[in-house]
Amino acid sequence: MITLPPVNWLSLLPSLILTVAGILVLFWDLWMKEEERPLLAWLGLTGLVLTGVVSFGLLGRNESAFNGMLALDSYALFFNLIFCLAAGMTVLMSIDYLETTDIRPGEYYALILFATVGMVLMAAATDLIVIFLGLETMSMAVYVLAGIWRQRLQSNEAALKYFLLGAFASGFFLYGVALVYGATGSVQLGKVAAYVSEYGSSPLLLIGVALLIVGFGFKVAAAPFHVWAPDVYEGAPTTVTAFMAVGVKAAAFAAFARVFLHTLGPIHAQWQGILWILAALTMTVGNVTALVQTNIKRMLAYSSIAHAGYLLVAMVAGQDLGGAALMYYLVAYGLMNLGAFAVVLAVGRKGEPNEEFSDYAGLGFRYPALGMAMTLFMLSLTGVPPLVGFIGKFYIFSAAVKAGYVWLAVIGVLNSAVSAYYYIRVVVNMYMYEGEKVPEFLSARPALATAIILAAVGTVLMGVFPSASIALARASFLSLG
Amino acid sequence: MGALIFYLLAALTIGSALIVALSRNIVYSAFSLLGTFMGVAGLYALLAADFVAVIQILVYVGGILVLIIFAVMLTHRIDDVAVSNRSVGRLPAALIVGAVGVIMSVGVVGARWAQKADVQAAPTTYGIGDAFLGPYILPFEFASVVLLVVLIGAVVVSRKEIREETGS
Repeated sequence: MITLPPVNWLSLLPSLILTVAGILVLFWDLWMKEEERPLLAWLGLTGLVLTGVVSFGLLGRNESAFNGMLALDSYALFFNLIFCLAAGMTVLMSIDYLETTDIRPGEYYALILFATVGMVLMAAATDLIVIFLGLETMSMAVYVLAGIWRQRLQSNEAALKYFLLGAFASGFFLYGVALVYGATGSVQLGKVAAYVSEYGSSPLLLIGVALLIVGFGFKVAAAPFHVWAPDVYEGAPTTVTAFMAVGVKAAAFAAFARVFLHTLGPIHAQWQGILWILAALTMTVGNVTALVQTNIKRMLAYSSIAHAGYLLVAMVAGQDLGGAALMYYLVAYGLMNLGAFAVVLAVGRKGEPNEEFSDYAGLGFRYPALGMAMTLFMLSLTGVPPLVGFIGKFYIFSAAVKAGYVWLAVIGVLNSAVSAYYYIRVVVNMYMYEGEKVPEFLSARPALATAIILAAVGTVLMGVFPSASIALARASFLSLG
Repeated sequence: MGALIFYLLAALTIGSALIVALSRNIVYSAFSLLGTFMGVAGLYALLAADFVAVIQILVYVGGILVLIIFAVMLTHRIDDVAVSNRSVGRLPAALIVGAVGVIMSVGVVGARWAQKADVQAAPTTYGIGDAFLGPYILPFEFASVVLLVVLIGAVVVSRKEIREETGS
């Protein structure tokens, strides 16, 4: 007789809602008429909003479920909010975009929802096997999403590159899990933490930890594991690029920070050095290479590498301040980056993506609102006060200084200064040059306009009134215990 | 006795793996994988992990190896493939692999292995089945979501494009 263990359904609720929404999208797609298909987006959006609301409502709980494999804590729930923001904005941006491509909405929205399920699981998992399963669910869905625009060769190339290198990185991660299991005798984070705080590190454990860093480093696109990012970001459909740049990165950092800052916290002296080098390298490589880009999606790809570097600075700083800064910055980065990608979509039109810098010439005068929004996002990505990007960077660098990593903070600040050059270049292009590109009017694309407005409002409001969200990020990080 | 079997199996595994890596003929490489997979399966059996040993044979020999051999056999003139990148020679490769080998050996030798006093070779299937539906039910069930995603993905990637409504 098999007795089922007690199941804590509440801890599964966010991922259950998303899974059910994904399956409903698939089934509804079967019976739908061709012209009704866009309705699927609203079903997906409903699922995402519901998950966000449920996660917000559950904030403050601190439970462990499934024999210590899944946690229902504010940390995971806070990340759920980021994932729902990223996926929800992506869906909003996709509604009009899919019309200009030959992507079929059914699978597209279903895969976005399933990728989000993987992310939710990664953030909540307290077991390396479950983290791996979440990682694979997310990655598989995103590999396919990158290549879902089948008629476009670059899209196919992006999917293939991402898949091959991603599978390799998953192999590294899994090997790391195996070695950590060998060294500590468990894959449960709680037991690994207990072992580490009792016995400290051993060579085998450190090799496993190094392999885990490779696996996570690939997913967050940290140098030197970033080489796939520019081609994949450029080739994937723009909405998918936005989703990857924000959602996948946040999910990888969620698991990364839980494992390293919390579980492996007692041996932080052993891995902090590696992350220090990775952070400095990632920031520098991302920013310096972004300087010479002429394609805006490629520029944003390198910019997202650079931002992974800033986030790694927060990981190096560690402790409460670093952890809270990491979580706050992921929200900030999500808002401004999603906004920037939404503007890129707005400038493009059917059969004419308009992704070169020169396509933005004169845009600021002919479309003042769009120009304003793009200026806002670019300034925020640079880190100009009082926008959200400034507050986020300020918290990261002050956390680094307080933890004694002054030089890393200096490198970060210098890199931010370098990044001003290529972000401001977009603004200069919009306001100082003449151009004749005519994007489709935003009034004809209300969902996309909504996404841009939401991102812009968030970028300004969270920058002007940061205290509530910072307090929430801090409380959520402290729920790790 | 156990040690002798262990070293024989290890020799089989490593010897076949060397052929896989060093053989100039890709067909030999593909077939040598059989020795590696069987050797690993034997090691599992030696460690009293009967279920894992059988799964290793089923999945790796029965599935992956057959797939690889199919791919090798069906690829047109696979022996004539001109290797375009000869700049990375054998010496750097040997150095890197050697360094990784040293690091791994240090790790394995210095590890504080959890040891079990006496392991009886008893069937493990019952325990594994129990664990899947007991403490490990979450990963077990969630694997089906992974498979669902993979199936949808495979359909999306391989489907023939229907072009009735495309105007562009």
